[in-house]
Amino acid sequence: MNQWFILLKKEFLEMSRNYKWVWVPITFILLGILDPLTSYYLPQIIDSVGDLPEGTVIQIPEPSAAEVFIMSLSEYQLIGILIIVLSTMAIVSGERKSGVVQLILVKPVSYFSYITSKWAGALILISSSLFLGMLASWYYTGVLYEFLPFSDFLAAYWAYALWLILVLTLVVLCSAALKHPGATAMVTLITVFVLNLVGGSLTHALEWSPTQLPLYVSERLTTNQWPEHIWPAAGLAALFTFAFLVMAILLFKRKELAD
Amino acid sequence: MALVRVDNLVKNFKEMKVIKGLDFELEAGKCVALIGANGAGKTTTLKMLAGLLDPTEGTIEFEGEEKVGDHRKLIGYLPQHPVFYEWMTAREFLEYVGKLSGLSVKEAKERTEELLELVGISDAKNRKIGKFSGGMKQRLGIAQAIIHRPKLIMLDEPVSALDPLGRREVLELLDKLKLEATVLFSTHILNDAEEVCESILFLHNGEIIESGTMEQFREKYQQSKIDLVFKGCAENFVEKFANNDDVISIKHEGNKASLYVRDLEAAKVSILNSAVDENWPLYKFEISSISLEEVFMKVVQK
Amino acid sequence: MELLESVNWALIAPLIIIQLILMAVALVDLIKNDKTNGPKWMWAIIILVVNIVGPILYFVIGRRNH
Repeated sequence: MNQWFILLKKEFLEMSRNYKWVWVPITFILLGILDPLTSYYLPQIIDSVGDLPEGTVIQIPEPSAAEVFIMSLSEYQLIGILIIVLSTMAIVSGERKSGVVQLILVKPVSYFSYITSKWAGALILISSSLFLGMLASWYYTGVLYEFLPFSDFLAAYWAYALWLILVLTLVVLCSAALKHPGATAMVTLITVFVLNLVGGSLTHALEWSPTQLPLYVSERLTTNQWPEHIWPAAGLAALFTFAFLVMAILLFKRKELAD
Repeated sequence: MALVRVDNLVKNFKEMKVIKGLDFELEAGKCVALIGANGAGKTTTLKMLAGLLDPTEGTIEFEGEEKVGDHRKLIGYLPQHPVFYEWMTAREFLEYVGKLSGLSVKEAKERTEELLELVGISDAKNRKIGKFSGGMKQRLGIAQAIIHRPKLIMLDEPVSALDPLGRREVLELLDKLKLEATVLFSTHILNDAEEVCESILFLHNGEIIESGTMEQFREKYQQSKIDLVFKGCAENFVEKFANNDDVISIKHEGNKASLYVRDLEAAKVSILNSAVDENWPLYKFEISSISLEEVFMKVVQK
Repeated sequence: MELLESVNWALIAPLIIIQLILMAVALVDLIKNDKTNGPKWMWAIIILVVNIVGPILYFVIGRRNH
């Protein structure tokens, strides 16, 4: 356990030296507040910038607070995932490729601690960035439109975080299996987006699938009630996260480390 | 008493047999050189000993290992091209690997200062490793290998990338390390081995073709050589020595000839006698011992 | 200029500030790093000119990690 914290501390130090602790939270906050701001000021912006003939009336139906909040969540679904994948694709393969892993694993370091400490470091970064981003979004939506109950925010947060952690863990698994970070990014992005696409059209067949979690969050925000399949979907997300992590450790152990 | 016992060690990469059954023991407190040409299997052997590669067959047993198969606490390893976290300072890196090796925070700090001093980079301890020169990285590499006081220190070609001055310093450092632990280092330069090591393991094409103490090795292979230069073709003059008991072999080319001899004194007398009796047109007579590189070639060609 | 008056500066100011922080951190990192993927001057321009996305692109693609 002691060794695990030493490894985790190193991950934190690295993430502050390469400014991940600055740019990832800031990016998530920006993603969170852009939608409330643009949808609120859009009519005025069009009004002042657009060269419209006198008397034109633009009718943009004012969205509800829940809709605006859901809109900013969809930013995480695309750009958020892109950032998670690109910023962690080398999490395991990077140290192996550079060769520094040889100096670390020749010390009595357990493979379990090596992988899980990296995973935990990234998990803390991503989940706290998401928390700050969604909190900012919730606040901006509240000021510009109307405050949603804080419990809505919390409900949306845990389900969404569960989904993004699953994506992150998939990246860790691929990074342990594949040598090249680019390949890791490709495989995870294609997997996630294909599953999302499939999940969008086959909502019935995939109602237990963790990929439906973002959908269920939207439903919870608009109807004020969790859809019935949220619990199996959430449970499966946790189960897959655990399974991916175990697979990553086993794969990493088996790989020849010295080439 | 043997610190390490290696039994029938085999390593295949796919179809290729890289290591073909090594058996050897490393005595505690000795310095052993692993000699061989590039591609002989030195690095693969060291990596298996370090636990970075799993052997295809065979066993590696350590005296006093706690858990079967995991002897990493007992060894220190320096790869041929060590790579560090370039964003760390030298001090941070040493403290980090020290703690990973099981030292307490306080021990790691003290040991770090001590080693930075020992390897001579304490002036640069707060500099980022990314800014280090090759020689400084090599020294930092040695420091990280010994931070937890391992019983066996393994270094892969520790001096081959260094300039003569750096080479000298590292060899002197190895001399000091010998006092604390068993040292096993690989090299393709025999002189480096000779300078610090008592024993050698000679690796060729994945097999040990020679092993033993440095003296035994020298006695077996190091012969004296007499170089002769004639006015005219050398062959006619020296060929009759081919049957001489003191002469092992003769090489001649144009007006030059070299005689490899067993008993230098006896050979010298008989050659000089012939030269006087037959009135050889001799330009040059020189006694030299054959270079270690030539020994190297000899062993490898065997 | 109606727009400027109606804007809630308490909401816009944080946006501008964190955007500037992001840009400044990216520039500091660019200056401190010896190597980037692609020429340094190009990244300096991207960071300074392309709002928000520029610095993020630099951190994701331009920065070389060790």
